[in-house]
Amino acid sequence: MLLTILYGFSIGAILYFISIGLSLTFGTMRVINFAHTLTYSIGVYVLITCIPWMKGNFIPAAIIAILAVIPISYVIERYVIRRLYGESLDYTFIATFAITLMGVDTIKWIWGVNPLPLSAPLGTYVEFWGMTFPVYRIIIFVIAVALFLALELFFRKTIMGKIVVAALEDKDGVRCLGVRVDKYFSLMFILGSALAALGGVLYAPISAVHPYMGLSVLLLAFAVVIVGGMGNLRGTFISAFSLGMVMAITARYWSQGAETMVFIVMAIVLFFRPIDI
Amino acid sequence: MNPTHRLFAEPSPDQDFSPKKVRTGLEILIIGIGFLILIPLISLHRVTDFMIFCIFALSFDLLYGYMGRLSFGHLLYLGTGAYIFGLFIKYVHNNAFLAIVLGMLAAGVLGMVLGLIMVRATGACFSLMALAFNQIGYFLVLSPLKEITDGENGFGVHAQSIGFLNFNSKITLFILTLGLILLAFYFLKRLTTSPYGILVRSIKEDENRVRFLGYNTYFYKWVTFVAASSIAGLAGTLTALNYRFVNPNVMDVHQNVGVVFACLIGGAGNLYGAIIGGVAYMMISNFLAIYIQRWEMFLGIALLIIVFRFRKGIWGSLQNLGEYFQRTKEIRPVEGKRA
Repeated sequence: MLLTILYGFSIGAILYFISIGLSLTFGTMRVINFAHTLTYSIGVYVLITCIPWMKGNFIPAAIIAILAVIPISYVIERYVIRRLYGESLDYTFIATFAITLMGVDTIKWIWGVNPLPLSAPLGTYVEFWGMTFPVYRIIIFVIAVALFLALELFFRKTIMGKIVVAALEDKDGVRCLGVRVDKYFSLMFILGSALAALGGVLYAPISAVHPYMGLSVLLLAFAVVIVGGMGNLRGTFISAFSLGMVMAITARYWSQGAETMVFIVMAIVLFFRPIDI
Repeated sequence: MNPTHRLFAEPSPDQDFSPKKVRTGLEILIIGIGFLILIPLISLHRVTDFMIFCIFALSFDLLYGYMGRLSFGHLLYLGTGAYIFGLFIKYVHNNAFLAIVLGMLAAGVLGMVLGLIMVRATGACFSLMALAFNQIGYFLVLSPLKEITDGENGFGVHAQSIGFLNFNSKITLFILTLGLILLAFYFLKRLTTSPYGILVRSIKEDENRVRFLGYNTYFYKWVTFVAASSIAGLAGTLTALNYRFVNPNVMDVHQNVGVVFACLIGGAGNLYGAIIGGVAYMMISNFLAIYIQRWEMFLGIALLIIVFRFRKGIWGSLQNLGEYFQRTKEIRPVEGKRA
């Protein structure tokens, strides 16, 4: 049972990495970013390419993977999403979906359709109270908590974070103060995409790697964001970990039903809560 | 000029009613002839396939084009129709007509239940929920219901012939599908030009104002959702009948983009647009995919172009062209007077 809880925390951490970007993009720009799957998968594929190049070192390869996503997400933001500001949500959804299609096809072109192997960088286990825990999952959880604290600090203490929080509340008000909101939005978009890549890089070793891998994870992240509230950063944190726990506990008793259970929880939450988007 | 294009068409007086009927009849005739012309160009089996997709596109258009709800999980209802059709024929009875009706009903009932939750959402939240439910459905047929649905492999559907109708012959299937698509078109035409249809389009424009006028928008949205899912279910039963085979691919989440693309390229919010778009998409996916290997790339680029430059679609552009010619005709006499 303790192991299940740890698994729940690690899945929740991954979901948090991916959904925070979605939540930020929606909260600031009112854009549902389907291209998040793309940055997620590209991060993983760059990682796979870089590991042999880095002589098997996981951490530098991971850093390169996350950095590689930044220019791509900048291009997406600059040339597609910025043109769709203030448009109906449907169009942004379709446009970002189109980007995903193109990106997935590019991945298939470069790396092939078949799943690629990627083993966990840390195979070691630690023993506590007579039970063994995989270290890798503990590290994921620790990174997630550290990231949450860092983001909290960023949004509370730095001027950039304060501007973004204020823009989440009232975009036009911030613009009236003479702040160039778009610049900060584009930074948030890049930050969100980089975090998605981080999530992908951390999750790929314990899941399968194939061109369509982003989609199922993105659906889960959307569920997290909807349950936690769009643009609500702390809500996203809580809902990511609770849904991760739901997944882990369901998987313990019925392994195939884990993802479906998340959607059922989402439906129940939506049924009782007013929908704000 | 197409009366459906205006938001508030004037209520037509009684003597105006009969030309309207004639006009609808003519339109149905033109669509039927259009599909008949397609037969020599591509094979009969393909035309049936195209028509089934067009029924699906019509149902999607009711939801997206008329009500403004972009569903990224509309294949769920098509898949439900297909599965109920197949399961009924496999386990209960071999009557295809009964199975078609049941498949439609099942999709409608599913739409009723999910619609209760779904129609409260708007915009992207609606799309995401649809996507999530589609994923659940796909998962259900794939693994927990594996004993009945045969999981990934799917199962064959062999409908017995009823009277003179032999469901194994391509011609019978073609005529049946043609009849059903014309029926669906007629039904949707009546629905969308009625006051109810105008109300649904007003909901797309501004739901708050419609609610302010005293209408229970929730109910109207729900009814539209149920209608769209039933028609999608009809398309599903026909898919199963046409391929004589059902497998989980009929509700694969990734395939949803096809119908969105079809609706957009044809012109959303118009029944002809849906049919033209359906045919165009099927042409592209059937023939272009043979020649172009990077086919998803092409689809993505085309979608981006549509979103940025070509929002009205083929039918919308044709309408613009028609209006342009009409305007030039009207202007000419004025210029003549000046001269």
